[in-house]
Amino acid sequence: MRLAIVVQRYGADINGGAELHARYIAEHLARHAEVRVLTTCARDYLTWRNDYPAGMDSVNGIAVERFPVDHERDEAEFGLRSDHVFYRRHSLNEELQWLESEGPASSALVARVRDAAGELDYVLLFCARYYHAYHAARALPDRAVLVPTMERDPALGLAMFGAIFRGVRAIMYNSCEEQALIRAASSNVHVPGVVVGIGSEIPAAVDPARAGARFGLHAPYVVYVGRIDANKGCAEMFDFFIRYSAERADAPTLLLIGNAVLPVPNHPRIRHLGFVSDEDKFDAIAGAAALLMPSYYESLSMVALEAWALGTPVIANAHCDVLLGQCLRSNAGLYYADASEFAAVLDRVLGDRSLAEQLGRNGRRFYEQNYSWSIVEQKYLDMFALLSSNPPSHRMEKLPGWLARRQRSLRPATQVLDELPTGPIGAVA
Amino acid sequence: MEHNQGRRGHFHRGRRGPDRRGPDRRQGLPPEQPNRAERVERVDVEQIMREIRSRIAQRSGIDLTNQQIHELAARRLEAILDPRGLKPELLEQLRRSAGERTVSVDAAAPNAAESYPFDEASLYDSPNGFLRFLRKLFNPILRMLFNPTPIAAALAKQSRLNSELLAREAERDRRQSEWNALHYEILQRLALEVSRASIDAQSLSLRVESLGAKVDFNERRVRTMEGTQVPARPQRQQENSPSPAAPVAAAPAGEAAPQQPAAEGQADAPRRRRRRRRGRRGPGLGAPVESGGASNPSPSTDMAIDAEEGDADTDEGLEEEPSSQRMAEPAPLPVEDIAKPPEE
Repeated sequence: MRLAIVVQRYGADINGGAELHARYIAEHLARHAEVRVLTTCARDYLTWRNDYPAGMDSVNGIAVERFPVDHERDEAEFGLRSDHVFYRRHSLNEELQWLESEGPASSALVARVRDAAGELDYVLLFCARYYHAYHAARALPDRAVLVPTMERDPALGLAMFGAIFRGVRAIMYNSCEEQALIRAASSNVHVPGVVVGIGSEIPAAVDPARAGARFGLHAPYVVYVGRIDANKGCAEMFDFFIRYSAERADAPTLLLIGNAVLPVPNHPRIRHLGFVSDEDKFDAIAGAAALLMPSYYESLSMVALEAWALGTPVIANAHCDVLLGQCLRSNAGLYYADASEFAAVLDRVLGDRSLAEQLGRNGRRFYEQNYSWSIVEQKYLDMFALLSSNPPSHRMEKLPGWLARRQRSLRPATQVLDELPTGPIGAVA
Repeated sequence: MEHNQGRRGHFHRGRRGPDRRGPDRRQGLPPEQPNRAERVERVDVEQIMREIRSRIAQRSGIDLTNQQIHELAARRLEAILDPRGLKPELLEQLRRSAGERTVSVDAAAPNAAESYPFDEASLYDSPNGFLRFLRKLFNPILRMLFNPTPIAAALAKQSRLNSELLAREAERDRRQSEWNALHYEILQRLALEVSRASIDAQSLSLRVESLGAKVDFNERRVRTMEGTQVPARPQRQQENSPSPAAPVAAAPAGEAAPQQPAAEGQADAPRRRRRRRRGRRGPGLGAPVESGGASNPSPSTDMAIDAEEGDADTDEGLEEEPSSQRMAEPAPLPVEDIAKPPEE
């Protein structure tokens, strides 16, 4: 079986969620199939500047073909177009212009996918909201298997993505909530789909004492891992934590791991370690009383899965359907919707050691039953087998004509998004 | 439990549950037994969160959802403070006081004189005489091209409407500012009254608490009295057989009756505690008979005796006794082992 993975960026030093997801999948599917990666020369996801040289490359033994990006992203133009299609009545043509301005616009990459029809069995397209996935899906719909990694984002309300979700051969969802959201947005029940998610490279042995000695950590502490950004809910987390620690003399330390986009408050109980090695990260997570996940929008939190794999309970933002659903299904995490709940949940996890241990054990079981690599790989292979045994039952819808594309008949994307169902998918009985 | 101590050890007791066989006869664990560990680990996150949220709701006092809070916040003040529901004289009084605070909106109102009087002549009017002449000269030509009369009429009407609207707007502003001041006044008074009422309520709750403590104290005292009541014994029996085991003892020497020697009372009999019912304090039925200072103990004497016995409580309960017995016997020691009532 010959597979191609199409993703916006690719590299051993790129740690974005979807990009890491794509790399892990490529490396694990390489054991079962001939895998090559088609990507752009971009390294920066804000500008899509061509940093890598175009042409052939190899990353951890996987063949990589890089194609130049036609133009960098103009932030001002992208902002204006986003504002227009998200909040105003607009046309399909304006949506396509928005996609072009979002990038990474690489016509060479799309042409390569179109030309590769004869040499590939399936093309795994990562990140539905980007240029490459949309145009590659239209270029090769019969072989396109989409990994949308969509969250509750206004882009999901854009009409142009509906045709993609209805037209690809299959969709590999990250979570039940993502599946429900995309199905509600695009009515694509006829498209084969499965909730897969992703595993993680959990080391065989972790040593919390090692991280404690290296960073001078004293238990108990709670940890946040990821980009420290207001978009990830970190500002709210800081606010809640500072209020919490002001009321308690024995408040734990909040340990932050990751690059800071948001200024970290100067507080005696908040420690920022910056970017650390995987070994230190796993050690720190394993020794934490809980992992905090304050994000409002997540397609799938790999850090939460890693914490569960290490037996650490998760305290998640209840406003994020995906995290909430995972906490409910796994029985391995608590959640908060406001400051008082944040304090109460933290008190409960820190004060009830047996509960924390039970949550951790449940998390480990949840990870092993759903996100261990053997299961993830098998789900992909089963899907390819299903597609190979059945001919395509549906076709990609054609783009409307020149005039129809220019009619401002489409509703604002945020309005469409607001009408989509919300809430977590509960535990399966 | 302490009362179980001294009984046979647990190893002698029969095995509980359906399987009462010994370990040698039991054939392994029942099928559901291996799942016990799993059952223990079955944590219901939803249940935990429900508990946490109910605890938060209890702590905050009112279980309001965010939506309810928003609805309350969005409720109009007029719904609560309807001036029409107030007494007319109060409303008038408030309005008068509010009127004093009202800023003069008349000053800000536009001058009606500024409105422009408009008619057909004003179309051709000009301060320049030559220009006026030219316009008058060419007026027939102009009238031949179009009819300015309806334009002049429309503009005149518009001018009049503008004046009226400005006047109406000024009047509305004045009324609005008056109502604003009135609302402010009502709100201020309401806040004052609410503060006063809350202070009163607080004071009353403290008073209720104090009274409740007193009631509680009295109840406890009655219970103690009922529990420790000792039946009175005839005097003769005491004199004949002063058994040490008997609960009745002789009074101390200083307060003993003449019939009882002091040494006997001190050496042999344990001190006697006696209760008398309430309401017989002070000179009652037997007061004239108990004429001796020692036989009519005053409350201060009671307290002194209590202190001597190691009981500092005051004596308020006096036991009712037959008058004949009281005449023959010295007054009993009014010793009570109840707590002192709380100070009010």
